[in-house]
Amino acid sequence: MELFQSFVGFSPWELIVTICNTLITFLIIKKFLYKPVRKMLAQREEEVQSMYSEAENAQTEAEKLRAEYTERLAKAKEEAASITKSATHRATVRGEEILKEASQQAADMVKKAETSIEQERKKAMNEIKDEITGLSVMIASKVIEKDINEDDHKRMIEDFISKVG
Amino acid sequence: MGDIAINGPRVLFEIPILGGLPITETMRNAWIVMLFILCLCLFLTSRMEKVPKGKQAIAEKAVQMIDNLVDGTMGPGCRGFSPYIATLLMFSFCGSLASLFFMRPVTGDLNTTLGWALITFVLIIVNNIKYKGVGGYLKGFLQPIFVMAPLNVLSEVATPVSMSFRHFGNIAGGLVITTLLLAALKALSGFVLGFLPVPLLQIGIPGVLSLYFDVFTSAMQAFIFSMLTMSYVGNARSAD
Repeated sequence: MELFQSFVGFSPWELIVTICNTLITFLIIKKFLYKPVRKMLAQREEEVQSMYSEAENAQTEAEKLRAEYTERLAKAKEEAASITKSATHRATVRGEEILKEASQQAADMVKKAETSIEQERKKAMNEIKDEITGLSVMIASKVIEKDINEDDHKRMIEDFISKVG
Repeated sequence: MGDIAINGPRVLFEIPILGGLPITETMRNAWIVMLFILCLCLFLTSRMEKVPKGKQAIAEKAVQMIDNLVDGTMGPGCRGFSPYIATLLMFSFCGSLASLFFMRPVTGDLNTTLGWALITFVLIIVNNIKYKGVGGYLKGFLQPIFVMAPLNVLSEVATPVSMSFRHFGNIAGGLVITTLLLAALKALSGFVLGFLPVPLLQIGIPGVLSLYFDVFTSAMQAFIFSMLTMSYVGNARSAD
């Protein structure tokens, strides 16, 4: 004959067994479900956190690098500008120098030419004078056929010429 | 026709100490359910990886859902109760669903539900005393006027009783109705289709009802019991 407990009824023994069962199940769930899952969730959260902070670091670094490069670029530009400026300045100065030298040279040359021309002119003038003098003496002596003192003639003619010329 | 027997849990054997301690069907089924829960937990959390998939995702989702439920019902800082609520949910749900596997439901025994309700009752009292002090807790019984004290005490004591009987009643009622229905269908098929060697009407119809009495009621009662536990204990913790 099978024994049955009453349909609606309770006994302390069975209550104690139930409570023990529940506690054991609680420990099972806590140890075998919650602990590993919580650990995994915490690990993942930590990883995400570290990834975020890493990203933030990288961003800061990039920002720093960018600022540095910008600064360097600006500096380089400035340097280039100053180099160009000084080169231009130097070129201008040098050009002016060259120009001045050239004009000086030209002026010298003109002066030299002028003096040489003057000399040539004087020489030519003297030659012409001499020739004219000789010629006139010859003409006069031919015309007059009279022997005057050649030196007197010469003097008279030179007088004349210098009065004319 | 006199073969309809609705009994309490069968006594499998008795431990011959203290005048015989019975090992009942309920206990055996509870141990089977516990073993199942242990295997389920071990299976769900085996070989966990950083990137969850499949069973691990289910385990994490379940834990997070219960955590959210606890947070929402009891307020923040009560995550410690989450494993206990998970225990109640799983034990109750699986214990009720045992009927699908031809076992007497664990929760169809008043001892089971009353045991859980007593744990809840102890939790309520402990948390009340912890957060309001013994004096504050006892003073609460005199609210709003001292005449109400007996009624307040009664309602406090009624909490575990009503919780346990609600759960037990639903499952045991389903058990009774299913048994009656099976017997009735057997009689009917013997009466209408007596020439067949099997009670044909027992096929199909009980399944539909079982969907309600076993699956729906099991989920519902597990949820209600856990919710009530959470809200009672949460109330006790909210110092006012």
